[in-house]
Amino acid sequence: MIESVTKKKFLVPSDLSEVQKVSAKVLAFLKPLDLSQAFLFDVRLCLEEALINAIKYGNSLRKDLKVALEVGYDDTQVQIAVEDQGKGFDPKELKICTSEENLLRTRGRGVYLIHQLMDRAKYNSRGNRLVMVKFLGK
Amino acid sequence: MDLKSFQQDGVTVFQVDGEINISTSPELKKFFEKQPAKKVVVDLERVTYIDSSGLATLVEMLKKTKSQGGGLGLAAMSEKVKSLFEITKLDKLFSISQNKQEAVSKVK
Repeated sequence: MIESVTKKKFLVPSDLSEVQKVSAKVLAFLKPLDLSQAFLFDVRLCLEEALINAIKYGNSLRKDLKVALEVGYDDTQVQIAVEDQGKGFDPKELKICTSEENLLRTRGRGVYLIHQLMDRAKYNSRGNRLVMVKFLGK
Repeated sequence: MDLKSFQQDGVTVFQVDGEINISTSPELKKFFEKQPAKKVVVDLERVTYIDSSGLATLVEMLKKTKSQGGGLGLAAMSEKVKSLFEITKLDKLFSISQNKQEAVSKVK
């Protein structure tokens, strides 16, 4: 994580009904930045996609496992780290959702959207921690 | 999310009001499945947010109508929602119209 001026940590239960609640808390936390609606839409979408993947596929909806979420910002960027307790995955194994033969598939768009809407998105080598960055003023 | 459906020129119009997200997508899917229709327009004018589960639900609805020999069009989405269709290339898959009337005309 960046040495942000302002940081907050959340421990999220592996329950999909928590996603919207946590996301609302994060957006409230970012309020002092006075971000545009479009910026907030992107941050919210990427955060929720990352949380859903961590809860559903990382932690397999196991109530005894948590997702660690860290959000930080300074005057140049917003950074979000999402870490589950699962065995991790290889993002390279995901099908390319924009290729014609995969357009009718119903999975795989969340990670793709994260990579498109954030300025940086990187998984750790185990594949259970995603760090996303979006620069301000974009 | 509020859902409404009605007939317009022989086309079933589904009007969605609110967010299509991980919590509300199953509701939209059920609502659609309860009213099997060949010619469908989904009016997204009042949709403020959509995530990948919402996109997937619309893809499922499209597949279902196509498998029955019908068609499904999307109407009146906001610029932000439309940008997600463009990023994911789903704009190549769906017929996307500026407004409901245009979408109905294309599908009927």
